[in-house]
Amino acid sequence: MIAVERLTKRFGPVLAVDDLSFEVPHGSVTGFLGPNGAGKTTTLRALLGLVAPTSGSATIDGRRYADLADPVGTVGASLEASGFHPGRTGRDHLRVLCLAAGLPTRRADDVLALVGMTEAGGRRVGGYSLGMRQRLALAGALLGEPSVLLLDEPANGLDPEGIAWLRGFLRHYAAQGATVLVSSHVLAEVEQTADHVVIINRGRLVRAATLADLASAAGSRVLVRTPDADRLAVTLRVAGATVTVEGEVLTVEGTDAPSVGRLALREGVELHELTPAGADLERIFLSLTDDGGAP
Amino acid sequence: MWWGLLAGTAAFVALTVVATVLAAGQQGAPSLDDPATVRSAWAAASSGTTFTLILGILAMTTEFRHQTISATFLATPRRARVVVAKMLANGLFGTLFGLVGTALTAALAFPLLALRDAPAIPGSTIAQVLVAGVLGTGVYAVVGVGVGALVRNQIAAILGSLVWVMLIEALLVALLPEVGRWLPGGAASAMLQVPSIRGELLPTWAGTTLFVGYGLAFAAAAVTTTLRRDIT
Repeated sequence: MIAVERLTKRFGPVLAVDDLSFEVPHGSVTGFLGPNGAGKTTTLRALLGLVAPTSGSATIDGRRYADLADPVGTVGASLEASGFHPGRTGRDHLRVLCLAAGLPTRRADDVLALVGMTEAGGRRVGGYSLGMRQRLALAGALLGEPSVLLLDEPANGLDPEGIAWLRGFLRHYAAQGATVLVSSHVLAEVEQTADHVVIINRGRLVRAATLADLASAAGSRVLVRTPDADRLAVTLRVAGATVTVEGEVLTVEGTDAPSVGRLALREGVELHELTPAGADLERIFLSLTDDGGAP
Repeated sequence: MWWGLLAGTAAFVALTVVATVLAAGQQGAPSLDDPATVRSAWAAASSGTTFTLILGILAMTTEFRHQTISATFLATPRRARVVVAKMLANGLFGTLFGLVGTALTAALAFPLLALRDAPAIPGSTIAQVLVAGVLGTGVYAVVGVGVGALVRNQIAAILGSLVWVMLIEALLVALLPEVGRWLPGGAASAMLQVPSIRGELLPTWAGTTLFVGYGLAFAAAAVTTTLRRDIT
């Protein structure tokens, strides 16, 4: 279990993480969301012992990273995809990591096959595309067959096939009992991959919940398209719903589609479109982290 | 590439032997009649030390330069171990460089000195100089790792080392001659028993211990300061 407890990190005058606390349960994929500069990367690096907390703690199964008996076998991490020697081949990079972690070098070929880079593994990293570097970083994270995965924007630079592959892979990996914490900006992807989300902003926790809870708390909407938008809007508002009108399209909150249809029928309003729309993560995210726009 | 540094070492050693022996007695170059000159021809075995210093520096600084230091510290979170491991590995490599240099020196010095009818110097002296060459080259690599761990930036570490040895130490020695033998350069010269402008040198064992001590001190300082810093 990943546990961040009252984590605070100050870089000189900048307070990157501010009294942050959350837990990530076993056997799930948790999305780690937040605007740029929110402190996601700093938190991940604190969990990995690359950054020392100013106060508080970031532990995995109750231990700091440096105190783990088998760091590479317990936690796999894929941070920015830039930490490679350009003159080395992908396979050699992984083989060096194998040697450093006491793993058989066969693992390098295994993980290359896993991420679909067997052929590219023989080429120098200096010639890799961003997507290839990203896959190599992920391969490195998987070397020790860890039960915890910490991934910082792993889909960054992947083509649609790669993104779809990653989604399936993470779900499968978590289903086998692994704990996955993925920071990402691609909210649509997080919606499809994660069960839980932790949202932070300006170094502080905004919300930590399951996607289901988040969606039901935000409420559902109904989208209506009608030539008689204003009249319907008035009727709906009288009935207690919140309505936003944009031309012919109404966005209705606080009631469901059948009720809207009934009201429209009663008033004789002509409907062209009536669709229930679930609360989507982007909307929830933006409303939770909106603080005037400035980063 | 390490073999580039090895090639550099070999070339430098060969050049030193050849130049010392063939140019001797001409245009002010020390004559071969002086045993010290013959000795310095053999001492070419240790002229690869600058290259192994750089080898050691590169071992640490390249990781910081290409940001592979994250992966290294993730695999080995106890950072002191990384420094020790690199010191051992590079010490070994540096010693191998020294062996190459020594073999090359022997191969060239024997025939060339005979060619110039140079007087013989005691076999023990030759042996001492060659051994100093092998080990000294290795020790320089170890010290290099310590410097690289402390300075971390590749250019700063290499330039800094060269500037220190050639400029700052030379200046300090000129102003305070007594201090010269205790500085890293002076200790290294004592280890190799190479005559230098530093005047009186420490005995070989003392110089070696002091120079190795400098390397370990740099590494220890690095472990407690620069290597503790956040990797961002």
